[in-house]
Order: sequence, then structure tokens, then C-alpha cells
Amino acid sequence: MSAAKNISRKLLLTAVFFIIWTGVISVFQIRPIYLPGPEDIINSFIAMRASLPSSILSSLRITLSGFLIGAVIGVGMGLLMAYSRTFMNIVGPFMEFTRPIPIFAMIPLFMIWFGLGLWPQILLVALGVSTVLGVQTYEAVRNIPSVYINASYNLGAKKSVMFKTVICPYIVPHLIGAIRVAAGTSWGLDVAAEFMGVQSGLGYTMIVRQMYLDTPAIIAVVLIYSVLAIILDQIIRLIERRLTRWTEREKMSF
Amino acid sequence: MLKIENLSFSYEGNKGKPGYEVIRNLELTIGDNEFVCIIGPSGCGKSTLLKMLAGFEKPSEGKIIYNGQEIKSVGYERAMVFQEDAVFPWLRVRDNVEYGLKVRGVPAETRKEHVNKFIETVGLKGFENAWPKELSGGMKKRVDLARVLANNPETILMDEPFGALDAMTKEMMQEELVKIWEGSKKTIVFVTHDIEEALFLADKIVVLQHIKNGGEAEVIEVPFERPRTVKIKENPEFQKVRRRTVELLKKYEREEE
Ligand SMILES: Nc1ncnc2c1ncn2[C@@H]1O[C@H](COP(=O)(O)OP(=O)(O)OP(=O)(O)O)[C@@H](O)[C@H]1O
Ligand SMILES: [Mg+2]
Repeated sequence: MSAAKNISRKLLLTAVFFIIWTGVISVFQIRPIYLPGPEDIINSFIAMRASLPSSILSSLRITLSGFLIGAVIGVGMGLLMAYSRTFMNIVGPFMEFTRPIPIFAMIPLFMIWFGLGLWPQILLVALGVSTVLGVQTYEAVRNIPSVYINASYNLGAKKSVMFKTVICPYIVPHLIGAIRVAAGTSWGLDVAAEFMGVQSGLGYTMIVRQMYLDTPAIIAVVLIYSVLAIILDQIIRLIERRLTRWTEREKMSF
Repeated sequence: MLKIENLSFSYEGNKGKPGYEVIRNLELTIGDNEFVCIIGPSGCGKSTLLKMLAGFEKPSEGKIIYNGQEIKSVGYERAMVFQEDAVFPWLRVRDNVEYGLKVRGVPAETRKEHVNKFIETVGLKGFENAWPKELSGGMKKRVDLARVLANNPETILMDEPFGALDAMTKEMMQEELVKIWEGSKKTIVFVTHDIEEALFLADKIVVLQHIKNGGEAEVIEVPFERPRTVKIKENPEFQKVRRRTVELLKKYEREEE
């Protein structure tokens, strides 16, 4: 499909979407508090324009730091569990026990233990991301065909070298899916973290707006979250494409 | 020298189930610089035997002595060309061939020289920067072979390395392999299903029987002078040895009929 055709198709879909949206509101006489029209939301954006940049920055800081810290810790733990049986025996049972606990259920405890502030929030996001990635990394390592490991040892590699040159590159494409899911989840964790009670950020803005029953503003914030999430996802996919040129995945034609 | 003494092997069974016996009381000696082919029906334990020679599996009983020492672990002096595709898909052809040299800390200059030499030997010049996914099955096998050769092992364990190649490439690779072997004093243990291949390559052929038929190993000396050319395949003597090997191989097949 040509690029021009692709763009015009997307424009058409957007137009249809807006027509249905405004049409539904006027036909069924829906009040803006339930479903505001496009112009209400645009007005909200304009009304919030002064506070939005700092809110976005504040949320970005929590989400991105939490995501990155969580990813490093999660992948690191997964690799260590695969590398060392001793480490696995110590940490494994603990992980098994804590993994099923819903991370959101931990919020009250977090507030009691760590109080309010930036670090407890980052910690919450990091914890959620790292548990997902820890398990996924460990599973990805377990699924590597033994012939690659054998070949590496057979050619003279030590265990640590084998890990660096075989296990690490092998698991990358198997982790991309989990990393993308974790990145998506980290936005949700950011909202939850901000509900824990801070005085800035997009999630905080939503709570405040909810008190005023300001539906257009809430939808505006949701839209911002979506855009941010899509951008982060695209960045991850861009990195993925560079790292996994060796796989046969890109051409999925069936 | 490789001495296999009273070797038995069983794969461990899953919890409670008895193990799966593959090799029983095998005795075999392979001399230095010898080219030995192992031939036998599918499932008789050829790959398993090679895995023990490489050190990936431990004998259930008996032992394997390599240059006076019992084989206890994997070592690059005993290199394996696997039956499965073992080329690392995340490395380009050149980096695959360089892998062993690199992890062993060979200096970059020497590495480059070896890599170029063996990529050329296996006929993959021009594909240095290709990803394995861009190669055919036979080409990947040749990458695997070049990777092992570049690492300069004393003994090469080859598990049906040319099974996936077309007849022309196969013949070329056989000749190359013999040339490399003649020029470099290596011991080669070569598993194959192809009797003509075994007769062309080997100093001696080990015919391994399936364990359900006793799992015995019989040795056929291959009498042809070296250097050999593919022409010996038309030699009447060649056909005679060939027939004897076929008979040994089919000994039990006939009894079952
Ligand atoms: N990892 C394993 N666990 C359990 N049993 C195995 C395992 N690998 C092989 N076997 C069994 O051991 C027997 C010998 O296998 P092996 O791969 O050594 O045969 P082979 O002689 O190389 O056969 P082929 O010519 O088909 O390659 C087979 O019956 C197989 O089912
Ligand atoms: Mg086999």
C-alpha cells in the first residue's frame, strides 16, 4: 500500500470517528458530564494549558524512572536466577510467593511504609515492572535450545562468557513482548501511584478534576496518557528493530 | 588416542520410570590422526556416543580415556559439529566463524587470518556479512564446519555434517575435509548414514548396532590407499567392501523379516 493511500485512509477513519461521536451526543441528547463533545475537550486543554507541562513532566519522571529501574532489576534478577542455582534457591521461593500479589493492593502498605513523595511512587512502578520482567526473563532463558549452549562451551567459552554471548542475545526478541506490556502497565502504575497522594502530575490532575465532575478534563488527561504510552511503545519498537535484525520475525505472512 | 572402555549409557527416565538404555558394553579404540566413520541404524546411539566423546553426557558405566585422561568435561580440543543447526542466528557468518577464537582470547590479527582462510575453505567467500537466516541449510552447515575448523581442535566429532548437502557440494566438502585432515594431523570421528561417504573418507568404519539387537560394534578396515579421489567409487574392490558393510548393517534387518 502506498503511503499516501495509507494516510488518506487514516484521515477518513478519524473523520468517521468524529462524526459518530458528535452524532451520538446530539441524537441522544447526552449531557457533557457523561460524554463531552470534542469542543469541550479542546476547551479543557486550553483551560489547563498552564499546568499541563509540569504535570506531564512530573508523571513522565515517575513512569520512566520506575520503568527503567524496574526493567534493569527485573531482567537482572531473571538472569541471575538462571545463572546461579544458589541465587535461585534463595530468591525463587520468595518470588513465587510475592508474584501473585496484585501490585495495586500494595498501595496502602506502601503509603504506610514509605510515606508520600517521589521515591515511593517510583518504587511502586519499578516493583510492578520488575516482577513481570523477572519471571519472563527466567522463562526465556529456560527455553533456549541446548545446542547453542553446548556449541558455545564446546568452542571454549566459560559460563560467564556463554551467558554474555549466547543467552543475552537469544532472549532479546523473546523479551520484547513482555517489555512492551510492562511499559504499558507502568503508565497504569503511575496513575495508581499518583492516587497515593501527591500534589502534582497527570494522575493527580485527574483526581482533582473528578471532584469537580469535570469529565472533559479527565478525558483530556486520558488522551495525554494514551499519546505518551504510544510514544514510549514506538521508541521500544524502534530499539527492538535495531536489536533483532537477525530474527526472521518481521515478515509475518500467513 | 581415544579409548572407549566398557561403556554403557542410559538416558535418565522421568521420575520413577526406568532409564532408557542406549549403549551397552561398548569397546572401541580410535588412534591419533585416524579418520573413523560410525555408521548404524537410526536411534542406535551414534549422536549419544559423540556427545559423550565431547563431554556433554557422562557415561553411566565405563569410561572414555582421551590422551591418557578420562573425559570429564567439555573441551575445545574435542570439537563437535552438531547434527542440529548450531550456528548462532544472532551473529553474522564472520562472527560465527570467529566465535571460538574470540572467547578463547586469540589476538585479533590471528583471528582475522583464520576466519578468512576457513570461510574460503568451505566456499562461503562473499557471505561474510550475511545473517544465518539468509543462508540455505547446507550453507549453515558449512558455517558450522568453518567455525570448528577455525578453532583448530585436535579431534573433530562430526554428526552427519553433510546429510543436508546436495550431491555436488557434498563431494566437494568431502574432498576438502580429507585435504584438511591430511594436512593437519587431526583425529576425526564422523557419523554418517551414507556408506559410500564412509568408505571414501574413513580409515576404518565402525558399524554400531541398535541396542535391541545387542548393540555390538564391529570394525571394518578400509584398505584404499591415500590420497583417494572420488574415482575409487568405481573400483571393484570398493564395491566389495561396500557390500560387506551393507551386509553387516542389514544383518538384523534380515532376521526380523
Ligand atoms: N535427550 C534424550 N533423552 C532421552 N532419550 C534420548 C535423548 N536423546 C536421544 N534419546 C534416545 O536415545 C536413542 C539414541 O539416540 P541418538 O540420537 O543417539 O541416535 P542416533 O544413532 O544418532 O540416530 P540418528 O541416526 O537418527 O541421528 C534414541 O532412541 C532416542 O530416542
Ligand atoms: Mg544422530
